[in-house]
Amino acid sequence: MTELKNVCETRIRFKFYKKDEFKYLSHLDISRIMTRAIRRAELEIKYSLGYNPKPKIGFSPPTPLGVESMAEYADVLLEGNIDESAFKKKLNLELKPQMQISEAREISGKIDNLMNAAAVVLYGFELNICSSDNKDLLKRFYAGLKEDLTTGSDFCHSIFDLKIMPVEGSSDILLLKLFGYAKIFKEENNEIFKFNNFYGFFKNWLKEYCVNIKDVKKEELFVLSGGILKTPMEIV
Amino acid sequence: MDKIKRLDSNLLGRLLKDIEKPGRYINNEIGTKSKSPGTIKDFQSLILMALVFPDIYEVGMSNLGLQILYDIINKQECFSAERVFSPWIDFEEKLRREKVKIFSLENRIFLNSFDLIGFTVQHEFLYTNILNILDMGGISIRTGDRKNKFPLVCAGGPAIVNPQPLSRFMDFFVIGDGEEVVISILQRVKKYRDNNKDKNWFLQEISKLDGIYVPGFYKFYYYPDGRIKSIEPGKKVKKAVVKNLNEFEIVEDPIIPNIKVVHDRFAVEIMRGCSRGCRFCQAGIIYRPVRKREVNSLVRQSIAGLKKTGYDEISFLSLSSSDYSEIGHLLDKITDSSKHGRLSVSMPSMRLDSLNLKLFELIQSGRKTGLTFAPEAGSQRMRNIINKNIEEKEMLDCIKMAFSSGWEKIKLYFMIGLPYENDKDIYEITLLVEKIIAAAREKLSGKKLARLKINISINAFCPKPFTPFQWAAYDNPENLDSKFDYILKNVPKRYVNINWTDSRKSRIECALARGNDRVGEVIESVWKNGARFDNWTDFFKLSVWEEEFKKAGLDIDFFTTRNLSKDEILPWDIIDIGISKEFLLKEYDRAKECL
Repeated sequence: MTELKNVCETRIRFKFYKKDEFKYLSHLDISRIMTRAIRRAELEIKYSLGYNPKPKIGFSPPTPLGVESMAEYADVLLEGNIDESAFKKKLNLELKPQMQISEAREISGKIDNLMNAAAVVLYGFELNICSSDNKDLLKRFYAGLKEDLTTGSDFCHSIFDLKIMPVEGSSDILLLKLFGYAKIFKEENNEIFKFNNFYGFFKNWLKEYCVNIKDVKKEELFVLSGGILKTPMEIV
Repeated sequence: MDKIKRLDSNLLGRLLKDIEKPGRYINNEIGTKSKSPGTIKDFQSLILMALVFPDIYEVGMSNLGLQILYDIINKQECFSAERVFSPWIDFEEKLRREKVKIFSLENRIFLNSFDLIGFTVQHEFLYTNILNILDMGGISIRTGDRKNKFPLVCAGGPAIVNPQPLSRFMDFFVIGDGEEVVISILQRVKKYRDNNKDKNWFLQEISKLDGIYVPGFYKFYYYPDGRIKSIEPGKKVKKAVVKNLNEFEIVEDPIIPNIKVVHDRFAVEIMRGCSRGCRFCQAGIIYRPVRKREVNSLVRQSIAGLKKTGYDEISFLSLSSSDYSEIGHLLDKITDSSKHGRLSVSMPSMRLDSLNLKLFELIQSGRKTGLTFAPEAGSQRMRNIINKNIEEKEMLDCIKMAFSSGWEKIKLYFMIGLPYENDKDIYEITLLVEKIIAAAREKLSGKKLARLKINISINAFCPKPFTPFQWAAYDNPENLDSKFDYILKNVPKRYVNINWTDSRKSRIECALARGNDRVGEVIESVWKNGARFDNWTDFFKLSVWEEEFKKAGLDIDFFTTRNLSKDEILPWDIIDIGISKEFLLKEYDRAKECL
């Protein structure tokens, strides 16, 4: 019986990006677009049983509207024996260039659903000082950031890690790891940042230090596995 | 034509910052077909048409007509069509503040760079949006002020069968089916441009086509009281008709919106026209004759379309789908083509009798949403007057059957202010609702009965051009309000939810529907006073409309609460809709026989 089941269905985890104009599409839009593309690719999603059958596809937590993402994930349960690379190839033909699958892997064992597992999200953005001659301000900004990290403000609960990569001129690239949606964090601390409004979240800071952020991008997503942070693909 | 001007792609991001639902403005859907400067060698040589739907993206993208025309035009080598919708209030403010003209979705071409701008007008309350779009495109709203050869501006769609209220704004109108005539028009636009002819030559050329009304070629003379004395020349404009729908395949690969739209499903027109003769119904007349699509190709194309789009819902459209003779066969074939429960089928405007309920069972496997009935009137007498031939017993039997098979939500449409209406007719509306609730009590068990919901939508009757009731008076708002109050007070409160359109708002709709060319002045000044999205209750400026009618020296009652006389020349008499005035008059007389 178990053997028969394995032949009849395939569970696939895949990673995709949404960039350029597609950053303006909401999480629900993206999931609708993906589900339709799967149908166009003539891949058949399994449906739940019951009164109101639902397709068995689940996505990682939403990325805020207007933010590009290189790390969207989804798990899908398909009818039949589907090869992961064929899945990627077929599906990409049905998707616009702004939204393509970068990786697909068959899931064999048991795995936590993406919505509950996402523990930490890595955002990257470029930081610009408004007046280019004032590199001093940037230093003060970083000092302020560190202070916030240690003084226990609401904001400090959300930051997991911070990396600064200097680039030419008056800008730096900031890589910021923020706590995500994972169930464990929700239970421990309900003040966790919900990513509803990335710009709103930074607004006061930016005003205070007179800096601009641009090209905010969701770079990666991490889940906790055996006490270590791993990407959703690494644990498959 | 001048060099085509487009929005700088870097600017879009700045414009869309903090804008509600930015997905409305980004293009890049699956199924777009406009030619692009990147793939066409000589983009400048194309005739570019802007297909404008003067409402928001979510509404416009739910319109099948737009998809059909878009598909037909873009299949042609020398033409390219791009879409334009009304920007929402926030985006309009942003565009105006940044001094950026409205642009098309596909190649972000500014509206004034198009050769031809075609508005599709679904109802009268879009008139101000039309002016707003022209203005946002940097185009003079009045045809007389547009001295340049391009862009040419035209309008089509059901609301312009009476073109007069918009006549001062449009170079020409397209009356009737657009499928064939749109290509004839574009061919002449090409000649006009390539041979550098003058505008009058172009307008003369297209006026020879069926369906084209050029208002500049006609003159209206009035009596002092506002009635029309004569129209010159008297030659009528014949509606454009596609004789055989089957010659136009259904659009199997429509544009699939990226964001959720009002009707997010694969739409198929199975039949055009309606053989029923409801005397208030404009669509029933203007879309005549009845033409149906052949069932086997319909089945084949629908299945192909579902495969190409990936939709899990299909909608079969027509004015009266249960009158499509092979409807059962069609439904069988379509539901058989997919796994049980995976495909939903919807069919608006279905006549509900016990026979059709079986069809509903078939298409609604599992999920039971709501059933919609349109008795339109409460009494049999009034239903006979309006020629809505459905018997109360038949309707109640059907509703009972629906309750027995698990439906708990029912929607009812009624009209008040109909010709020859009396208090008893209004009373019988409440009576009918009571009978329906009694039926529910009989058929639904306790738990289900608690969930019963009856949504009642009440509209004021608005006499529309080209209907047998076109001469009838709009009831005055005080009467309408007291009739509605009576219903509200006397209809059972439990289970029932009532919805009513403001009688003074409907009166404005009526004045626009039966308006003459002078009403255009009112539309213009109302728009200048900030009116747009008049169909949205939050934005409708009743006092501005009433005020501007007065300022223009026009009496709203002249267009609305007056019985038009039968020998009067009507503003829309210049159009030959395919049904004679004598026939409409005869039907109006027959309504009286039902008294």
